[in-house]
Amino acid sequence: MANEPVAPAPPTGGQVSRPAAVVLEVSGLAKSFGATQALRDCSMDLRRGEVHAIMGENGSGKSTLVKILSGVHRPDAGTITIDGEQVAHLSSPREAGAAGIVTVFQEILAAGQQSVLENIWLGSDGLLRRRVPKDERVTRAREVLGQLVALPRLDVAANRLPLSERQATCIARALVRNPQVLILDEATSALDVATRERLFGVIDRLRSEGASVLFISHRMDEVEEIADRITVLRSGNSVATLNRGEATPRDLVALMTGIEDAPAELRSEAAGRPDLGAPVLRVRAVRLHEAGAPMDVEIRAGELVGVAGLEGHGQDAFLRVLAGNRPAEGAVTCAAGDEHREVQSPADALAQGIAYVPRDRRTESVFESRSILENFQIATVDRDRRNGLVLRAPAERRFERYVQTLKIVAGHRTNPITSLSGGNQQKVVIARWMAMQPRVLLLNDPTRGVDAGTKRDIYRVLTDAAAEGTAIVMLSTELIELVELMDRVLVFREGQLFTELARSELSRTRLVESYFGRKAA
Amino acid sequence: MKARVVNLMTARPSAFAVGLAVLLLIANVIAQPDFIAPNQIAPTLGTLAPFVIVGMASTLAFLSGGGGIDLSIAPLMGLVNIVLVTALLGTTFGTPLLAVPILLALGALVGAINGALVARLRFPPVIATLGMFFVVGGLDLRLVPNPVTAGPNWTNHLAGSIGPFPGAILTMGFPLLLWVLLRRTPYVQSLLAVGDHDATAFSAGMNVNAVRISAYALGGLIAAVGGIALTGLVRSADAQVFNNYILVALAAVALGGTNLMGGRGGLFPSMMGATCIFLLENLLTSLHASAYFIQVAYGGVLFVAVLFGSRLFHREAVPA
Repeated sequence: MANEPVAPAPPTGGQVSRPAAVVLEVSGLAKSFGATQALRDCSMDLRRGEVHAIMGENGSGKSTLVKILSGVHRPDAGTITIDGEQVAHLSSPREAGAAGIVTVFQEILAAGQQSVLENIWLGSDGLLRRRVPKDERVTRAREVLGQLVALPRLDVAANRLPLSERQATCIARALVRNPQVLILDEATSALDVATRERLFGVIDRLRSEGASVLFISHRMDEVEEIADRITVLRSGNSVATLNRGEATPRDLVALMTGIEDAPAELRSEAAGRPDLGAPVLRVRAVRLHEAGAPMDVEIRAGELVGVAGLEGHGQDAFLRVLAGNRPAEGAVTCAAGDEHREVQSPADALAQGIAYVPRDRRTESVFESRSILENFQIATVDRDRRNGLVLRAPAERRFERYVQTLKIVAGHRTNPITSLSGGNQQKVVIARWMAMQPRVLLLNDPTRGVDAGTKRDIYRVLTDAAAEGTAIVMLSTELIELVELMDRVLVFREGQLFTELARSELSRTRLVESYFGRKAA
Repeated sequence: MKARVVNLMTARPSAFAVGLAVLLLIANVIAQPDFIAPNQIAPTLGTLAPFVIVGMASTLAFLSGGGGIDLSIAPLMGLVNIVLVTALLGTTFGTPLLAVPILLALGALVGAINGALVARLRFPPVIATLGMFFVVGGLDLRLVPNPVTAGPNWTNHLAGSIGPFPGAILTMGFPLLLWVLLRRTPYVQSLLAVGDHDATAFSAGMNVNAVRISAYALGGLIAAVGGIALTGLVRSADAQVFNNYILVALAAVALGGTNLMGGRGGLFPSMMGATCIFLLENLLTSLHASAYFIQVAYGGVLFVAVLFGSRLFHREAVPA
């Protein structure tokens, strides 16, 4: 990341036309979760009456910043200044709200059994005292929600509303508080087109009335349309703040990836490996949600396929559909000899040689109270049965092979798995499924939170397995991994397959461009 | 027709229990015509009251969501009964004006401890209140290993008559009135929102912990009312009698139509649920059914009610 961004950040302060007053300023914010440094050094300021977009790819720290500003997380370091007054931190959404900062989160937060009216006024009263009189509640809610949806219905339960209207209700909840700072964290993704247009109208009005909006969106066109300034985050650092029209989408992508356009980065061996085998996994007309376009994908033996996109755009769902772990419209079939068998449950998947390494090691794949060996053996324990007993010796022999290839650093095999580092636990889980000798190995972000050495070991084992004919489908949030490792990458966007990048087209820039909805120029 | 029934049930979750209660009342009158004889009404309501009140007391924890449940309501009712008879009656604190506030405070305190264990220390509610069940139940037995008879006192009127009115109207009416008053404040709505989806409530700036703790405290307070009503009925301090109410309390909530996952329901539905159970037991007893069969019937009714309710809650949710 030695390269400097293409578009230089504008000098702050000292301009002829004095910028509007700053309502919110953060400086040097840092936050880590365990070993993961989510935010390193983030500084930015939000002026009165501006719409300020935050952009960045996965893991750049956008949502951590939002959560600090809305009182969900407490920063490890750095300062927050609101209206010229420095606050240590905001300890709850309630406190943030009292300071005039109100957030609409990406996740639709609605109390489903309560009416729309109640949802809009949620949290604005005291425990026993009403702060807003009843008549005003109704008229104001109708007025505010009416700015977003054509026919506001206040007395239906929120879970009876379509998704777009439910999200509009959440936005209305923020708007009735007359926030000084409104944070919209991917709040437009669930909105239908008409509602989105109306929301932009509302944002325009808020801006002219002197309120400020912090706008997080995965859509470049939205940002171009509405933002006065853009701050780009990369790996937890704020790398630049640009004025409207100062940077092209291409520049923004370069800032987000931290490199200039890099044809040199493309892999030298442009074509895929010549010896790809027959298709093993077929996806036919699968739709991840009702409105998503059906997709067809074919995975061949010996192929390394990357699955990518901004967090939460359907790639996780896609992988779980392949693993039989999530119902979906359409069919996933696995070649078994001449016939194709449908995969409808995890048991189907296993029976046909599809192994799945889940995303969350602690809750989905490691048995924390069991030993290293038991954790390894669990997928292949059938092979170690003799006369109704389970033998340990064959499992140990099997395990040794992976200890060598994956370079697992482990003490005695009967120690609890939790005695290992996170990276080694992940290696044991990968060994567990490799030992099954699967025809298809699905991995959901297997290198998340593991050190560089472990990553290299995992890459090598995966490429070896692919060379031996295993089809590998791997979700990754790391650009470099996708570029260096994959034969092709499926990019997901808004819950459907957006595009497919062949190995010859793979670059960090192309990937991030497609994350943000730009096809090849 | 079918759609109308479903709509009614959706709007009024207690409709099933109300309908069942009416049918059971009619059946009781047919089986035993003097069930509604004027001189029978007050004592019958006096027997009904503890059922209804434990049902109402148990409702609050369910409403607060997060797997909320309060198993300690029945032994707490027993504790209040014991403290009233052995420590208060006959002393200067034994008058209603002093004893009632003291006992309500005791109930609320125990409830608040449950709430704090759940909300602050993040105990699973089943474990927190099961622990409290054993602690309070054990304390009950320690205080009165054998029942202690209470002399005639003011609580007898609560299980009988006060002038021309059944005293049970007071004991059952107090929690209901409290609830009606709370409905006029934002409290009940906050409780439902927290029970419905606590992450939403938190992000909207609600004090989720305060709401949960107060819900358990309110449940304890209502349990204390139940203890007073029970004292009038059994005329003694008894560490065993609460056993009859442990499971009925939970069944009443489920039968009434409160969503056991939180977010919807109230005290009136539980009152109806408890009434159904009481009437069912009464009917089967007057028909000389065996005690074992009565239990089977309880269970059957509960299954039907919950099945009905879960279908409804299911039908409502539009998948995201």
